[in-house]
Amino acid sequence: MALMTSSLLISSSLPFVVVGAGAVDSVTSTTDLTELERVTRLDVLPDIAEDHRVRLTILYLLLLCTAPVLVWLTGSDQRRADFTWAVGTEPNTLDPQRMSWLKDIRLAECLFEPLVRMRMPDMIPEPAAARAWTVSNDGLTYTFSLRDNARWSNGDAVRASDFVYAWRRAMLPDSSADYIGLMHCIEGAKAFFHFRTEQVTAYRKGSTHSASAAARLHEATVAHFDQTVGVRAIDDHTLCVQLVRRTPYFIELCAFATFMPVHAASHRRFVEPDPGTGMLKTDTQWIKPDHLVSNGPYRLARWRFKRDILLVANTDYWNAADVGPRTIVQRIIESPATQWLSFRGGEVDWLPELPSTSTMVADLVAEGRDTVHVIPGAGTYFYNFNCKPYFTDGRENPLADPRVRRALSMAVDRSTLVTKVTRLGQPIARTFVPVDVLPGYSAPTDAGLVFDLANAKRLLAEAGHADGRGLEGLAIMYNTGAGHERIAQAIKAMWQEHLGVSVTLEGVEGRRFSDRLKNQDYAIARAGWFGDYRDPTTFLDKFLAENGNNDAAWSNPAFDAMLAEAAMTAEVPARIALLEQAEALMLDEQPIMPLFHYVSVHVFDAKRVRNLWPNAWHLRRLERVQISR
Amino acid sequence: MIRLLLIRLLQLPLILAVVFAVTFALTWIIPGNPLENPEGKRPPAEVQEAMKAQYNLDSWHSFLRGYVAGVVHGDFGPSLEYKDWRVTQIIASGLPVSMLLGLGSLMLALGIGVGVGMIGALRPGSVLDLGSLGIALLGISLPTFVTGTMLLALFAGTLQWIPVGGWASPVDMILPALTLSLPAAAYIARLIRLGLGEVMTSNFVRTARAKGLTRRRVLFDHALKVAFLPVLSFLGPAAAAAMTGSFVVEKIFVIPGLGQHFVKAVSSKDQFLILGVVLIYATMLVLFNLAVDLAYAWFDPRIDLAAPV
Repeated sequence: MALMTSSLLISSSLPFVVVGAGAVDSVTSTTDLTELERVTRLDVLPDIAEDHRVRLTILYLLLLCTAPVLVWLTGSDQRRADFTWAVGTEPNTLDPQRMSWLKDIRLAECLFEPLVRMRMPDMIPEPAAARAWTVSNDGLTYTFSLRDNARWSNGDAVRASDFVYAWRRAMLPDSSADYIGLMHCIEGAKAFFHFRTEQVTAYRKGSTHSASAAARLHEATVAHFDQTVGVRAIDDHTLCVQLVRRTPYFIELCAFATFMPVHAASHRRFVEPDPGTGMLKTDTQWIKPDHLVSNGPYRLARWRFKRDILLVANTDYWNAADVGPRTIVQRIIESPATQWLSFRGGEVDWLPELPSTSTMVADLVAEGRDTVHVIPGAGTYFYNFNCKPYFTDGRENPLADPRVRRALSMAVDRSTLVTKVTRLGQPIARTFVPVDVLPGYSAPTDAGLVFDLANAKRLLAEAGHADGRGLEGLAIMYNTGAGHERIAQAIKAMWQEHLGVSVTLEGVEGRRFSDRLKNQDYAIARAGWFGDYRDPTTFLDKFLAENGNNDAAWSNPAFDAMLAEAAMTAEVPARIALLEQAEALMLDEQPIMPLFHYVSVHVFDAKRVRNLWPNAWHLRRLERVQISR
Repeated sequence: MIRLLLIRLLQLPLILAVVFAVTFALTWIIPGNPLENPEGKRPPAEVQEAMKAQYNLDSWHSFLRGYVAGVVHGDFGPSLEYKDWRVTQIIASGLPVSMLLGLGSLMLALGIGVGVGMIGALRPGSVLDLGSLGIALLGISLPTFVTGTMLLALFAGTLQWIPVGGWASPVDMILPALTLSLPAAAYIARLIRLGLGEVMTSNFVRTARAKGLTRRRVLFDHALKVAFLPVLSFLGPAAAAAMTGSFVVEKIFVIPGLGQHFVKAVSSKDQFLILGVVLIYATMLVLFNLAVDLAYAWFDPRIDLAAPV
């Protein structure tokens, strides 16, 4: 980097030197002649001109060659990694407690090893950093025994205290963990978050602002954690977790990124309480290749912003013998067309994230190539209906009537959407929870709606809006730049044709869209939702009245009661039945209009790349991948 | 000349301060929370508040205070979109790449543009002349995402002569530099051709021809210098724009430059990155315009730099 800047500076100042020299010469050689002599000196002029020409040519060639030479000098090793994939965007963060994007979780799974991992392809939790665990009879106490031979990439043993440190981080407002909600099943976690928030607010309003005061505040926080939160390191290799209530999916949660450990001893060096706010400030250099200590199958060897990430097999990993690819590279290629060209040219082995909204991708899928795999996902694409009685501008909201919502939903021909508009043939959604992705749970498709024009018209008339009367001024809001326009246009046309309901389309920029959605400043808004863990509550909790993601502002006390009862029910079949009933109740009122379930488009050659096991939950064991050339 | 240099350099901080103030105001007026993911789930409200406080985003004056305090230490803040990176690191990784690509494409544009323009001027009215003007028109009209994608699909896709994008070796520079250079080359060709056409009828050229110099000699050695002046004016802002990167070309050819951040930082409302990138661009614009003004004096001795404009 220094070499490049200095070379650039030298080469860009050279022109001035060359030009300056030229300018001086031409002046001194002609000042001692008279005007006439100067003009008639044919022999002088061509020489000067030639000098100029030569100088200019040299200057030009110098500038032309600067760039390629510098690129050549600073170019790096382009040896092909064992396994290369390409994604469209740079990681949002590689901090396991702060991450929420799938593309980041994919990398975290290579770098960090949680207590358990999902065995593939059968998706059963198996021991990872923990060699065994026991659950108390009431299902509230989990005791994990860590492996004696589990090591960090600097040789240190993986300790229970590393897990305590990481999980505490996740529960602090200072870390602003997106998935802090997953921690709420642990006893005292929610209260601890509030405790710290109050502490920090009081500090900010207070008069003492100093490094020592902030440090004392942090010590008090840690002490409070040790006393009140149900995560304890009994000894170096035993971790004890106390839950608030029985959580059947807790073991699977332990495989999630937020629950991954962090090497406490080295991470601490990058954390400092900020004297001004009292909160912990973390220097993000800890996650860079020079400093990151990892306990997973790989360690971070190189991270070039917006270019690539190189992972190298971690020799200290307890199961290093089982690791397949020795080097992994993730390349950042924004344009899907360029991604496809890279794959075709053999530069990339796998494209895990081709955008399903791109027409190029739809064309690829339509061509039926055997390298293009369309995998159903554990997510649903749907429209929110504003269920509040009044809009934000004070107008009465006709969508507050469930009959109107049901009628609108029944007038959408979903199979046309997935065959003609998106052209990916996604599974049509009648329920919110995707069918066939949750073992043991049968999504109540009977309670969902089908394309039924007769009933739609009848319901609409019943609600007093025959032929769309009284439904003027409604708008479908969607975020721009993500391919939602076509679906919105199709639905608008369907409602116009079948029900006489005329809506407008409102494309809103991403950040503004989130704001308006959150505040119910819309009539109908497009949305998507993916499950985070394999339990129906990851889909259904969203509709609880106090849930921050309940964008439709729908509330039904009976629904909330059913979910609360399910949370208390130990018996699995009874619990599942309650959840199914709750979903049926929600679908009856259609606060949201499910359209189709997501699919993801993966590109790879299944004959060459084995053990990828693409699945609806994006679970992976990338160190098990086998590549033949 | 020295006086001009000093005055311009002293003006630079003032210009930057104004640019900063306007950009800062605009980024605060844009609605939306940069810490929210439009596609994703919302963390609890208190977490969102905590995040905002951490980044000094809860009010404009705390943001301003924090930002200025940081800048004094050479720290332009963290990126809100790429949470593990700081703005200075992002700019340091992207700016050299964009500058090198910009330099390469400008030199290519100059070479192609001056060459094509001169060919046309050598034989005015001929097929070569009309043809070159026609190509120039095409170059100005075709957008870079069309030419870029076509070149990529042809040379990297079909013929596979060149790797598909990336920034590993000088070979990777060829296609993007060519794509970026074409519009500028077309514009330069037009300027040179029309400028030369005008200069060739002026008095000093007639004198030179009368003295017996060939048409070619006159063109290369005397007329070009004068006709080059409009190109010089164009080069200043063109250099600044080329050096800070082109969003489209960087996306198509997978170049890890700075150009993409201009657009993406705004759509993700990454206030720190927007400010950092805008300040860099403003600085480069001022410096390149200064270089152009200094170069003017050398090209045409009739221009007096000290005289008020």
